[in-house]
Amino acid sequence: MNKTFGGVWIFGDYRDYFQNRITLQLIAKGRELAETLNTGTTVVLLGDQIHQYAMEYVAHGADTVIVADHQNLKEYEVEKYTTLLAQWVKSYQPEIFLAGATSFGREFFPRLAKRLRTGLSADCVDLEVDPESFLLVQTTPAFGGELLAEVVTPDRRPQMATVHPGVFRELPHNAESVGHIIYPEVDVFPEPRVKIVRSKPQRTGKVSLEDASVVIAGGKGLGSKEQFELLYELAELLEGEVGATRPAVLSGWAGEDRLLGQTGKSVNAKLVISIGTSGALQYITGIQGAETVIAINRNPDAPVFRIVDLGLVADAATVLPILLETLRRRL
Amino acid sequence: MNIVVFVKQVPDVPNIRIDEQRMTIIREGVESIINPLDCVALQASLELREREGGCITVISMGPPQSEEALREALAAGADQAILLTDSAFAGADTLATSHVLAMAVSKLQPFPDLLLCGMQTIDSDTGHVGPQIAEELDLPQVCGVNEIHMDGHLLVLKRLSEGFLDTIRVPLPALLTVSKDLCPVKNLSLGAVEAAFSQKDIIRWAAHDLGLQPDEVGLKGSATHVRKLRPPADRTGGRIVTGSPQFIVDALIHKLESMSILDEEDGNE
Amino acid sequence: MIKYRESKISAHHNYLVNDMLTPGFVVGKPNDTEGFYFLADIVLAGESMPRISCRLLAEGPGNLLLELNWNRIQANPEGCIHQSIPGGFQILRTTGDVLLEVQTQAFANGYLTRIKAGLYDENGVLQMEPLGDSISAHDAEKIVLDSPFSSSA
Repeated sequence: MNKTFGGVWIFGDYRDYFQNRITLQLIAKGRELAETLNTGTTVVLLGDQIHQYAMEYVAHGADTVIVADHQNLKEYEVEKYTTLLAQWVKSYQPEIFLAGATSFGREFFPRLAKRLRTGLSADCVDLEVDPESFLLVQTTPAFGGELLAEVVTPDRRPQMATVHPGVFRELPHNAESVGHIIYPEVDVFPEPRVKIVRSKPQRTGKVSLEDASVVIAGGKGLGSKEQFELLYELAELLEGEVGATRPAVLSGWAGEDRLLGQTGKSVNAKLVISIGTSGALQYITGIQGAETVIAINRNPDAPVFRIVDLGLVADAATVLPILLETLRRRL
Repeated sequence: MNIVVFVKQVPDVPNIRIDEQRMTIIREGVESIINPLDCVALQASLELREREGGCITVISMGPPQSEEALREALAAGADQAILLTDSAFAGADTLATSHVLAMAVSKLQPFPDLLLCGMQTIDSDTGHVGPQIAEELDLPQVCGVNEIHMDGHLLVLKRLSEGFLDTIRVPLPALLTVSKDLCPVKNLSLGAVEAAFSQKDIIRWAAHDLGLQPDEVGLKGSATHVRKLRPPADRTGGRIVTGSPQFIVDALIHKLESMSILDEEDGNE
Repeated sequence: MIKYRESKISAHHNYLVNDMLTPGFVVGKPNDTEGFYFLADIVLAGESMPRISCRLLAEGPGNLLLELNWNRIQANPEGCIHQSIPGGFQILRTTGDVLLEVQTQAFANGYLTRIKAGLYDENGVLQMEPLGDSISAHDAEKIVLDSPFSSSA
């Protein structure tokens, strides 16, 4: 079999596609890792009538897709998926196996790792191959995000990790890509014990921080809900969305649907303007996917300034009205 | 219905401080608490026992001082508490931890109907241990449950999953991890805590009580190793600007122009 | 190792054959001047129509029924009818039976073409027949084309 077969595997998580971009982000990262390991990137995909997802993953950089397309795989079911994927892993022996830290990824990957008696790290914010040991270094937040832990799986295989959505950037769609597609023989599925009787979409509001190209993020440093509300005008002027830190959400200045960070959303934006945010690591996780970060904070030692492209040392309450006035005049 | 609740004693994370020199956390002066979501699981078990009868066993793996967490659970109303403590257990990842916990459950007579734990812990936040216990014991699992009902011998559950509200039916025995929305946690009264100190004994099991070999548990039984702890990486090349508010605004506008987020204005300003 | 079947997959357009995706496939020998063949050629990025060329023969006597070149009728001695259907076309025999059906499903990101037919070669051997919602091709010359047949020929 060709070298693309047993290298870097990615779980094809397509529920809520096209909003859910995690698989594409993992393919892009997977290619980087696979290159270092001189191997290929494979997406494993289970479901019913999933041709278009297989095509989408190839368009975004997968070398190979391994597919089980069957009406009995319509639902995301932990037990079936675990049984099937454990067989595939044992058979094809990937080095690395990644999944998005989505609700399903976080429910199903631990079970699979356990069945395979291998290691799993949770909700990683960075992945790289150590150039000497060729081990996958899995960077994951520890202690509420105050520190980052670098985790390795020295002996067991595959090296498994779930990855925080939004921390890696997907490759562009290339309609001219051609990949391999593998259809393993699939056994009869056991009747699952966990039966999903109903699955009702619960979309709340229309806040789409993940897709916004400009995000204005506010924190407790804004001082009051009234100040925070000015961000909506700024967002409107710059055609962006408003996000918030956990302390701002806890103060009731914004809804939980605007929460940025490890426990909230991660942006993919071109620009984040972070205002009155000190820069707790758990929040930084949510904005580090941005191409450019600008921060306004009156404390020059605020940790947020360590990650910015442009840091403005100023009191947000003073600067915001001037900024809004200037923009209004120009637009 | 016999219920097992897994609890973990964790540092009160929002109050921990970091030793920036040694890249470790300073535990001194930081209170240890029961992982908040495990308290939700415990509360849910109390309500289920009230409706369905049965017995609640609380299990914790940890150093000897984890006993405090079990005392609290007994005070809250658990019937029996088991502390899994052994120096060989130290340094366990989720694979090794779930092995010890699963072995303890399989020693229980009769085998429990329902296993509960919080969907995450605040210190390591992996959410792995629940599903991994279920896997080892070959039980069905549902994670992030926010509603539990009984329908005959079936559990009827609700949980939110990636923007979907799932309604789920699962037979007993089963393992559930619970979300914070399952039920509000009532405060344990301090008087009850004191009463618990005198009342019930805590069962202690070490590796040999569970028939475990040293290389199956702790650091040796773990598949993952933490290579190092470090602060978050910094971006480089960031420019820090100070000055009058107008100067700050101009710097920002200039940056927006250079990114083509704003059109450049004719130069006479 | 678990047994598996292998094919290639285009990011843009695929045919479903033998329950597998493939960018293009050939049954029989398109370059011969007579005899049965079926060519489902690679569809290039930017195009949305499949590229079907074929020479179809009657069961039993093996008379020529129809020749298609890039979906267009080239020869039609029996007077078959070419009829548009949503997302594709059908070829009907004078009896009203469907000889060939080609239907393309458009996704947000690409296309998938399904083919339905029961086709015989000059020896009266069934070469292609319906298989679930795809088609089986028994002795495909090339079940996976690496480049468009028309230009490589």
